[in-house]
Amino acid sequence: MTDIHPSTVLRRRPDVRYRRIEGEAVVLRQSAAEVLVLNGVGADVLDLADGRRPVGEWIDVLAREYGADREVDRETVMRDVLDFAAEAAAAGLLEPVTAEDDG
Amino acid sequence: MSLARLMATAWRQNLLVSVLVELTYRCNLDCFFCYNDLSLKGEPLSREQYFRFFDELRDLEVLHLALSGGEPLAHPDFLALGARARELGFVVRIKSNGHALRGELARRIRDEIDPFLVEVSLHGATAATHDRQTRVPGSFERLLANLAEVRALGLRVKLNSTLTAWNEGEIEAMFALADTLGLPLQVDPEVTPRDDGGREPLAVTPSRDGVLRLFRLQTERGRASDAIIPASARSADENVPVPTDKHCGAGSSGLAVDPFGNIYPCVQWRWPVGNLHSQSLRQIWQGAAGLAAVRELTTRAKGVVESHGPRGFLLNFCPGAAAAHTGDPLAVYPAALQRRELLEQVLAAEARRPLLPVVR
Ligand SMILES: C[S@@+](CC[C@H](N)C(=O)[O-])C[C@H]1O[C@@H](n2cnc3c(N)ncnc32)[C@H](O)[C@@H]1O
Ligand code: SF4
Repeated sequence: MTDIHPSTVLRRRPDVRYRRIEGEAVVLRQSAAEVLVLNGVGADVLDLADGRRPVGEWIDVLAREYGADREVDRETVMRDVLDFAAEAAAAGLLEPVTAEDDG
Repeated sequence: MSLARLMATAWRQNLLVSVLVELTYRCNLDCFFCYNDLSLKGEPLSREQYFRFFDELRDLEVLHLALSGGEPLAHPDFLALGARARELGFVVRIKSNGHALRGELARRIRDEIDPFLVEVSLHGATAATHDRQTRVPGSFERLLANLAEVRALGLRVKLNSTLTAWNEGEIEAMFALADTLGLPLQVDPEVTPRDDGGREPLAVTPSRDGVLRLFRLQTERGRASDAIIPASARSADENVPVPTDKHCGAGSSGLAVDPFGNIYPCVQWRWPVGNLHSQSLRQIWQGAAGLAAVRELTTRAKGVVESHGPRGFLLNFCPGAAAAHTGDPLAVYPAALQRRELLEQVLAAEARRPLLPVVR
């Protein structure tokens, strides 16, 4: 399983397609028959996984957003985001960006 | 939240999720029962118009795009349009008769479009039946060869079939053939009238006994697959009734477009609500009076189905098919009533059957 840290850079795998509906997301992967439904954090992470910003920046963005809206503390956001990113990487939704990808 | 709940939200909020594009009515087969209205005239959409339309679909955050027809592969810009759809990030499905799905074209479809799924029509388990329906001798043998080829290429393929009076005697053999090919087969139990209301296709409406046999077979096969899906893999709220204001997503989460730019609420519901030659999709989506009327009708259709009791859903009622059969999208047509009656029969027999332990 991919080890995810705040400095890890992840992107959506190219075969991931999704549509947000009321904050959540319907997700399909070309290679898999099943349709996934992600909750708000999962959907936000998919939006943020552009392969440029490290995971730490997602946590900053979401901590600001959730902190203001729902009074969720940064620790909780960090835990949720790191957990989800690891799960999503294991499920083939996200992949790490390596130095060669950048070059 | 379950997928059903999210889709109900899309219906309620009119969020466009799925679009079916009939690229052309040209076809290399000539199915006896084809619902396409070949007398429909108009100016075909140009490649640039399709590109603009696809851009609008992307702006509306559409997820699913199905390319159909007629035979979509017969459209001169098929590869370019499919590739564009892929580039824009849609989940692309191709609905094809499979006749031209081979060689260079099949390879380019894989490489340039990379469809989520290619849905191919099977009309029988023998050449005699399949070719009788397609009215092209040799089409069955060619389909089998093409299916082997596209599978080897790694394209994801599903078989679709419509139950007819001509193929109902082969339905078990069709499932067996699909199993041998390693492909899923979905069978639609209903022949619909032609899109212009013509009733000629109904001449091959399957018999009552044929539909019953299909339902029994589907239930049987469904039970087998139920046994191998662990309960833990099913979402927790899958069985909770979904609150929704509409019967279906026609004109609210889905729509269809014909080769001449006419927009319909659904491939089955041939009430044009606008035309892409004179309006943008956004104008149609937000302002068309016809679309507002359709959305209102899908809300009323929910009441119609509910008036048939808790098992009303077994009608599998389709307002589009109702409009085609009777002219009234709210009229429960005989094929739907028969479906409910036969499904009830099958489900009652199922309930009497002792539950067998799952042996792995
Ligand atoms: C019109 S075709 C277009 C795509 C492609 N040419 C094909 O045959 O798959 C779409 C599907 O509708 C089915 N079909 C055609 N006419 C029908 C009718 N009158 N009633 C029910 N299904 C029909 C076809 O068998 C096919 O599976
Ligand atoms: S192959 Fe499809 S479009 Fe062509 S005639 Fe048959 S059903 Fe109609």
